[in-house]
Amino acid sequence: MRIQISHLTKTFWRGARALDDITLTVPTGMFGLLGPNGAGKTTLMRVLAGVLHPSNGRVLVGDHDIATRTGRSSIQRTLGYLPQDLGVYPDLTAREFLDYIGLLKGLDNRTGRRRRASELLEVVSLTSAADRKLKTYSSGMRRRVGIAQALLADPRLLIVDEPTAGLDPEERIRFRTLLAQLAGERTVVLSTHIVDDIAQTCRELAVLAHGRLVFRGTADDLTARAAGHVWTVATTGPAPGDGVLVSALPQPGGVRYRVVAGTPPPGAEPSTPTLEDGYLALSRQREITPAS
Amino acid sequence: MTAALRYELRMQLRRPDLWSVTAVTVVLLWLLTARSLPIFLSEDPRTAMIRAIIICNVPLPIGYAFLLADRLVRDERLGVAALLDATPSSRPGRLLGKYLGCAAATALPVATIYFGFSAVYTIRNGAPQALSWALAMFATITVPALLFVGAVSLCGPLVMPTAVFRVLFVGYWMWSSYLVPPKLVPTLTQTVIYPMGGYPIQVFFGYRGGHASGGSDWAGPVPGALFNALRPAPTVATAWLSIAVIVGLAALTLSAAHLVCERRTR
Repeated sequence: MRIQISHLTKTFWRGARALDDITLTVPTGMFGLLGPNGAGKTTLMRVLAGVLHPSNGRVLVGDHDIATRTGRSSIQRTLGYLPQDLGVYPDLTAREFLDYIGLLKGLDNRTGRRRRASELLEVVSLTSAADRKLKTYSSGMRRRVGIAQALLADPRLLIVDEPTAGLDPEERIRFRTLLAQLAGERTVVLSTHIVDDIAQTCRELAVLAHGRLVFRGTADDLTARAAGHVWTVATTGPAPGDGVLVSALPQPGGVRYRVVAGTPPPGAEPSTPTLEDGYLALSRQREITPAS
Repeated sequence: MTAALRYELRMQLRRPDLWSVTAVTVVLLWLLTARSLPIFLSEDPRTAMIRAIIICNVPLPIGYAFLLADRLVRDERLGVAALLDATPSSRPGRLLGKYLGCAAATALPVATIYFGFSAVYTIRNGAPQALSWALAMFATITVPALLFVGAVSLCGPLVMPTAVFRVLFVGYWMWSSYLVPPKLVPTLTQTVIYPMGGYPIQVFFGYRGGHASGGSDWAGPVPGALFNALRPAPTVATAWLSIAVIVGLAALTLSAAHLVCERRTR
C-alpha cells in the first residue's frame, strides 16, 4: 500500500506551522521517519492516521484520499496505529481494552475478536497479566498493550510513533523484529528519534526538521552523507571543539571521542560512518534546510 | 455506538467515586428528610412519590453532574483520544455511546435511591400503585432532567476546566431550582426549560404547593417576573413541549460538543 503525500501543510490554531509543504512517497515495506523532537513527525503520523486533517495538500493512501470522510474511513479500516503518547483506560483489563478497540475497528465477530486479542497478548508476552486492570501496568507493559492493539485488525498499513520508547532492550529488539516481519506486503511507517531503530529495520527513510522534509532516500544514502567526515580521536585534553560529538568513551589514559566534522581534529583518525553519523552530518550540513 | 456505550457503562460502574458520592448523597438526603420521612410515608402514594422525586432532584443531579464532568475530557487527558480517532468508528456515534453509557451508569444510583424509597413505601403501606407512580414520574421528570444534565456535564468541560464547570454547575442548579423565587430574581423556575420538570409535575401529576420559594405553582406565568415568554399556561401540550425542549437542549449540547471536537482536529 503506497502513500503519496503532495505539498502537505498542517497549520494549527494561531498559525503554528507543524508541516510545511511536504511531498513524499512511502512505498510498501518498512519506512523510517527520523527527526529531532519537534520536527513534525508526530503531526505527520497523526495526519496519516486520519486523526488530524491536513490544512493544505493531498494525502493518498492506496487509492483513498485522506481528506474525504469515506477515504479516511477506508484507510482506518486497514490501519494499525500506535500513537506516541499512548494512553489506556486504567479501569479496564488489557483483554477488555483490546476487545473495546477491536469493536471500534469493526471486528464484529465476538469469538474471532477475542481469539485475536488472546493471540496478540501472547505475542507481546502479556498473557499472564491479561486480566489485570491496566492501572496496575508499568509503562513498558502499557506500551506492549499499545502494540497489541495496533495489530488487532491485521492492518495493511501500520503507523508506529516512537514504538520502542519505554521498552527494555530485549523487548525493543523483539518489537523491531516483529515490525520487520510484518512489513512484507504491508506498509509500516516507523517514526522515531532513535536512529538505531531505523538502522536495524528500514532500508528507506525520510528525515524531517522544522516541519520540512530534509532528506528522502535509503539508509545507505544517508550514511554516505558522513563519508569522509567521521573521526575518532583519543585525548586526555578537552573534547574536539569543531563538529558534532557522536560519542565519548572513557579509556585508560583519556577519552576516545567520535566526531562528525568537516576537517579532522588534531591527531584524529578517519572512521567508517554509520547511519547515526549520516544523520548528524545531515543535521550539521543543513542546520537544517529543506531537501530538494 | 454500542461499543462505546457498553464500555463506558462498565468503566463508570467500576468507578469508586460513583459509589462514594452516592453514599454521601444518601446520608445528606437522610439528614435533610429524616424528620419528614414519617409524614412522607403517611401521604397518599401519588403525593409521596412526587414529593420524594422533588427532594431527590435537588442534590442528586449535582452529584450526577460531578461524576460525568470528566468523562469526555479524560480521553484527551489519558491519551486515548488519538487512538479512538484513528479507528473507523464514527465520532458522533462514539460521543453518543459515551453519553448514554456514562449517563445510564451514573443514573443507576439515582434510580436506586428513588425506587428504594418507593419500595419502602410500597411495603410499609401495602400500596403497589406507588411503584407505578414512581415509574411514571421518573420517566417524565427525572429522565429528561438527567439527559439534559448529562449532556451539559459531559460537554461543558470541553470549553472550561472541569473544576470550574463543577462550581458553575452547582450555582446554576441552585439558581434554576425551585429554591429561588422567580419574583425576586430572574430564574428559569416554572419555564418550559426548567430542568426539574415543573410542567410534568403540575400537569401530569396534579401537584401544587410544597414550593420551597413559597409559591404553589410549578409551571406557568409568574406575575411581574422576567422570562414569562417561556412560561406558557400549563397544559398537557406544554408539559410534553417542556420535556421535548429539555431533551432537545441535550441533543443540541451534544451536537455542539461534536463540532468543538471536530474543529480541534482541523
